[in-house]
Parts: sequence; C-alpha cells; structure tokens
Amino acid sequence: MQCADCRGLLHAYLDGELMPDEREAVRQHLATCASCAAEYETLVALSRQLKTKLERPTAPDTLKARIRADLERAESTAAHPPFQTMAEPPAGRTPRRSWLGLVAAGLVIAALSSAVTATLVHRNALRASIADQVLSSHIRSLLPGRLTDVASNDLHNVKPWFNGRIDFSPSVPRLDSAGFPLLGGRLDYAGGQPVAVVVYRHQQHVINVFSWPAETRSVSPTVVRTDHGYHLIHWSDATGDFWAVSDLNLAQLHQFVALFARAESEGEPR
Amino acid sequence: MAPPDHERFERLVLPHLDDAYALAHYLLRDEHDAQDVVHDAVLRALRYFESYRDGDARAWLLSIVRNCCYTWRGRREVVGQGHTHGDVTLADLSDTVAADHHAIQSSDRDLVRRAIDMLPHEFREVIVLRELQELSYKEISTITGVPAGTVMSRLARARKRLAVALGLPVSEEG
Repeated sequence: MQCADCRGLLHAYLDGELMPDEREAVRQHLATCASCAAEYETLVALSRQLKTKLERPTAPDTLKARIRADLERAESTAAHPPFQTMAEPPAGRTPRRSWLGLVAAGLVIAALSSAVTATLVHRNALRASIADQVLSSHIRSLLPGRLTDVASNDLHNVKPWFNGRIDFSPSVPRLDSAGFPLLGGRLDYAGGQPVAVVVYRHQQHVINVFSWPAETRSVSPTVVRTDHGYHLIHWSDATGDFWAVSDLNLAQLHQFVALFARAESEGEPR
Repeated sequence: MAPPDHERFERLVLPHLDDAYALAHYLLRDEHDAQDVVHDAVLRALRYFESYRDGDARAWLLSIVRNCCYTWRGRREVVGQGHTHGDVTLADLSDTVAADHHAIQSSDRDLVRRAIDMLPHEFREVIVLRELQELSYKEISTITGVPAGTVMSRLARARKRLAVALGLPVSEEG
C-alpha cells in the first residue's frame, strides 16, 4: 500500500469503517511507515482528547417535563376518541384517566350507544350524547390541575392562546363587572373534535363554556340537562355552538348565558 | 384517521432526548435555543411519526433535530455565518480565545470547546455525531443527507483543523 492510499483510508480505519481486508492492509502499512504511523497517532490523540474533554450536555429536566406535558396533551385532545379513552385507559397511563373512567362510568354506556348510532339518530339524541360528554368533561375539569391550560383573567392572554391549537377562535367576553371573572381556557374533546373551553367563576362556582364552529341553525338557550346538581345550557348562533355547564343555580346560569351571548354577539372587546 | 401511536413514540423516541439536546447544543451554541429547538423537533417528530417505519429511531430523531436547528439558524441568522466557508487558522482561534475574558484561564476543556465552536457547522456536526455520539458513517449520512464518502472527507478536514487548533502535530500533505 502506498502512503497516499493509506492516508485516504486512515480516518475510516480509525472509525472502524473498513472491510477486513482493507483494515489489514492499513495495519500492515502503519507497521512499516513512520510518517503514516505518526499521522495516525495524531488522530488517535485527537479522538482521545475529544472523547474525554468534550462536554456531553444532557437535556434539562424542565425540557423533558415540557415535552412530556405536550405529549400527554396531544394524546388526550387529538389522538383518541373520547369513548375509547373513558372505557379503556391505555395500560401504564397516569391514574387520572382510569379515575375518569370511574367518574364517567354511569355515562359511558349511554354515550357509547349514542356514538354507535350517531349517524342514524336525530339531533336531540346527538345533543344528549354531547351533553354527556360536556358534563363528564366538566366534572373532570374540577379535578386538581385540570381546569385550565392557560390561566389568566385577561382575555388578551386567553384568546390568542387558542391560535394554532384549534382552527376556531372562541368568544371570550369580559364579564368581570357582572360578577363572572374569567379564569382561563383549555382544550378539551367533545362531539368528536377538539373544542375550546373558556372558564369563568361566580363566587365559588366554576362555569365551563364549551364552544366549536356552528353546525346547526341558531338555537336559543335551552336547558338540556340537569344532573347531579349540574346544569347544562346549550345555544348556538352564527359564531358558534356553545354549551355552558356549572353547578351554579339555574337562574344565575341563565343570567350568565344571557350576558355571555349578548356580549359575544355585540362584539365585546376580543 | 388512526391516532398517532403515542406509546410507541414514547418508547422509541424519548430515550434519545439527551442526544437530541447535545446535537442542538453544539449546532446552535446556545442552551436556551437548543431547548426550544429540541422541543419543537420532538413535536414535529410526533406529527410525522406515521412516516417513520422501522430502523434507527435515534438517527431519525437527530435528522429532524438537525433540520430544525438549521431552520432556526436561518430564521435568526445566527452568528457563525462568517466562519461557515472561511478557513479557521490557529491564529484566528488564538485571537478569539485571547479576546474572550472567559478564556483567560481557559482549561483544556474550554479550548476543546472553543475549537469545536469555531468549526463551520457542516464540520461541527460530523464531529459531534462521530466523536460524541459515536454514530457510524452510514447513520451520519442518513442524518445529514450527504453520502458516506462526504461524511468521511468532512471528518478528515474537521479533524485536521481541530488538531491544528489543539497544537497536535499535523503533516503538511494530510
């Protein structure tokens, strides 16, 4: 082997990338050529320096936590049909989903049967199915740490948060002066799609307002369900389909819905 | 639409977060940028996970991280452009080291780090992938999108520059 050939293969030799016959040819040349052997020694010394002195940065725990949180959110909002999630939490998941399964157990059978026949039933049955999902989402949101993805009293923080997370810009009227301060927003899942939830409070009562793009004609506010002390009011207009759910008393929830619908249709500061 | 297989994603991809971060850290030379880019890259990887079949999940993730790093650099016109095509000589390196107040009592470790940082990015990435992460030419070729022969010639040129910068004996014809 000539020196030029050896130099051409020296890096591959160092990196263990040569075929056995080439490797042997280089080895024999290095044994007899001082110049190439010196060159190889330099490469070995460099490689040793790099391996021992090059720092190996590792991903900070905060980054890992952020990524895991995003994966969980992606999984719970977009990946799984809600019934599957409720009925069959995947093995090895955090306990709260199986908890959800217990909480919603009474609703699952009705919801499942509605889902199977969803295309066949008329709108009232569909609405009942959505009511089940909205109610179980509301109950789940009351678990610690589940209420908001973005916690802010400022609609200018909450409204933009949904940009890029959902192809719909939810209404976020300002209702503080009427006694309904804004708590924040989150993504949730209902009616077979990710939906926006805007969260308000009245005294100690949480009000979740679910919304998504309008699919039906306008519907004036209707009490769809009163269950375990929770009231569900549904309405829709040109800007979207809305569900408000709370354990607030019904008169106050009606008042909230009237304020919300009016502020939203009047185009209160967005 | 089939949901992305999160369990499989977490099992195959998440164990390589440290490697992903190390690559971004060296390519971007900034720990905060590296965190943002790795975060973004993992979410992209999840989105495109259907396109991942079998094979080396680490190389697959690192190729996404690398692309995100260059997109990020392009967007921010990150420092280093001036060095991308120019030759870095020992004199350049010494000037820079001397000018840097952190380096007044620079240890060998700092000197190695400086020498790596001074490399053009296409040399820096092959050094990090080979010397730090110990990937094969074939894997590096997959990640960087250049033929294995180019990987080898870049490694050779990068090593020569590093040897000069670190004061190791280098032959003229090498």
